[in-house]
Amino acid sequence: MSATTLRLGGWLSLPVRRRSVVVGGALAAGIVVIALLSLTLGRLGIAPADLMPAILGHSTGPDAIVFEVLRGPRLVVGIAAGAAFGVSGALFQTVTRNPLGSPDVIGLTSGASAGAAAFGLLWTGILPLPVGALVGALAAMALVWLGTGRGFSSPARMLLVGIGVSAMSLAFVQYAITRVGVEQATVLASFLNGSLASRTWGHAALIWVSVVVLLPCALLTTRRLQLMEMGDEQADALGARSAPARSWAVLIAIGLATAAVSVAGPVAFIALTAPQIARRLTRSAGPNLVLSALMGAFLLTLADLLTQQSPFAVQLPVGVLTAVIGGIYLGYLLVAQWKKGTV
Amino acid sequence: MEASAASKPAGRLAGLGLRLAYDRRVVVPDLSVEIPDGGFTIIVGPNACGKSTLLKALSRTLKPEAGTVLLEGAPIDSYRSKAVARQLAMLPQSPIAPESITVRDLVARGRYPHQGLLRQWSAADERAVTGALESTASMELADRYVAELSGGQRQRVWIAMVLAQQADLLLLDEPTTFLDIAHQYEVLELCSRLHAEGRTLVAVLHDLNQAARYATNLVVMKEGRIVAEGDPREVLTAALVEEVFGLPCVIIPDPEAGTPLVVPKVPA
Ligand SMILES: Nc1ncnc2c1ncn2[C@@H]1O[C@H](COP(=O)(O)OP(=O)(O)O)[C@@H](O)[C@H]1O
Ligand SMILES: [Mg+2]
Repeated sequence: MSATTLRLGGWLSLPVRRRSVVVGGALAAGIVVIALLSLTLGRLGIAPADLMPAILGHSTGPDAIVFEVLRGPRLVVGIAAGAAFGVSGALFQTVTRNPLGSPDVIGLTSGASAGAAAFGLLWTGILPLPVGALVGALAAMALVWLGTGRGFSSPARMLLVGIGVSAMSLAFVQYAITRVGVEQATVLASFLNGSLASRTWGHAALIWVSVVVLLPCALLTTRRLQLMEMGDEQADALGARSAPARSWAVLIAIGLATAAVSVAGPVAFIALTAPQIARRLTRSAGPNLVLSALMGAFLLTLADLLTQQSPFAVQLPVGVLTAVIGGIYLGYLLVAQWKKGTV
Repeated sequence: MEASAASKPAGRLAGLGLRLAYDRRVVVPDLSVEIPDGGFTIIVGPNACGKSTLLKALSRTLKPEAGTVLLEGAPIDSYRSKAVARQLAMLPQSPIAPESITVRDLVARGRYPHQGLLRQWSAADERAVTGALESTASMELADRYVAELSGGQRQRVWIAMVLAQQADLLLLDEPTTFLDIAHQYEVLELCSRLHAEGRTLVAVLHDLNQAARYATNLVVMKEGRIVAEGDPREVLTAALVEEVFGLPCVIIPDPEAGTPLVVPKVPA
């Protein structure tokens, strides 16, 4: 069998799949490489020899500014926000038993855009943009909860209502932009696409604390979520109590996605694609939370590196790039599901 | 509801005065049933009469609006959920196979009620999974993906998952549906062997002749009520089949097993 058991004394024994360990190690290494590249490449790049002093805060001059202000926070936010999106998508997909279930499709990210538009364009000065996004995301989720008529207990209804809420939110964004005129709306443009430009260590702290607190909570529900993949009834019959597990998972997923959206904007499709790619690479069932986190971090930092350094995408908001890649993937997924008759 | 010592059912699993509903739509108004220990109980009845609903209530996956399910004489919700799952295993009518899961991993999921948060895999788990694969003749499928299996193989694997749970009470909802006739009998023979080994089985079946052949206790339901129950040789009469299913028929002895055989009449 391709799994071994990790043992520690008599009290710990966890089955570990070798393939998952290999994929996870490769992704972690990939993230390190991307991190090094994004700090060293380009006109302002820190020379490799000066990297360590810069990270430790010993350097002065341009390197200090590049690390402390321009690239360091951006990278650190990107890693955690990508991980948060990845885990959030994995949780939503498991709970809805549908690869389309993700904060993008279910209305959360569009709700964040609507919140940002509301407080950034229409009612300015009341709330800062990230908080506005947070409020929008939570309001959208409240609408989904009310709209299904039975909370988050029915996956199909959750998806349908979510798509509706998503459409409404985007319509609201358009309305807000038309109200204030396009010139003013440009201040919001980069946020609405999702961007990691000009992040601060404050953003980094917010998203890292969210991930460090919520990821372990999510891991505690993994086993019950695995059983829920076989249907709530089967999970209940195995003693896994699906109803509270579902509520927990949805709350954690909302928490992670809203945190990520409030620091990075509604970056498209990372949450949708990361868990799916992780699942295909590891060829294993289950929510694959740790791998989804690594994959999300890898994809987002990679996309951001491309927007910073590639000649084609220079200084585009990273969300534009992920939207293009994710859109293609979403199309593929829909066609595949259509063929299987499970849309 | 408190069962007095005198009226306490003899069986390990029983439902008393059950009222079962979905979103207040009552499917079973008032039903009591006792599952004989060590028996093979088969539930039959027309579509939508509440067979699956009853099984869900007995396995605690549906909470009754009124009445109690007793497990070992105590209300089933006085146990912890994993403790129930160690005594009682249930295979729903249409279980969902997760995407990209191997047979062995699926069967291993049946071990959940025996595992803890930190102790997720033990030698006993390994033995139970191997045993379940062997007794369903699915050992050679262990490393295949469930999605690649034929209907008959898949059903054997689901039963293996339930067996890995190592519960003495097995509830199976329509384990033979969608199988061709040879595979139907293969599953029934497997059930019958599990029963002979000492387990208590409850299954929902559609084929009355199969039910009559394998059941030690036949439960006939109609519109949320039990119309008849007991030894199939006594219970299954032409009048009952006509009343419950609206099918005029004659009953003759099964030339092979001697159990009742339902032969529909040719419409005049
Ligand atoms: N999850 C559910 N939600 C609402 N109604 C249901 C649900 N499951 C079953 N029902 C209804 O309850 C009735 C009995 O269903 P069921 O117990 O599945 O019948 P059977 O298994 O005898 O065919 C049917 O009318 C069915 O439509
Ligand atoms: Mg049924």
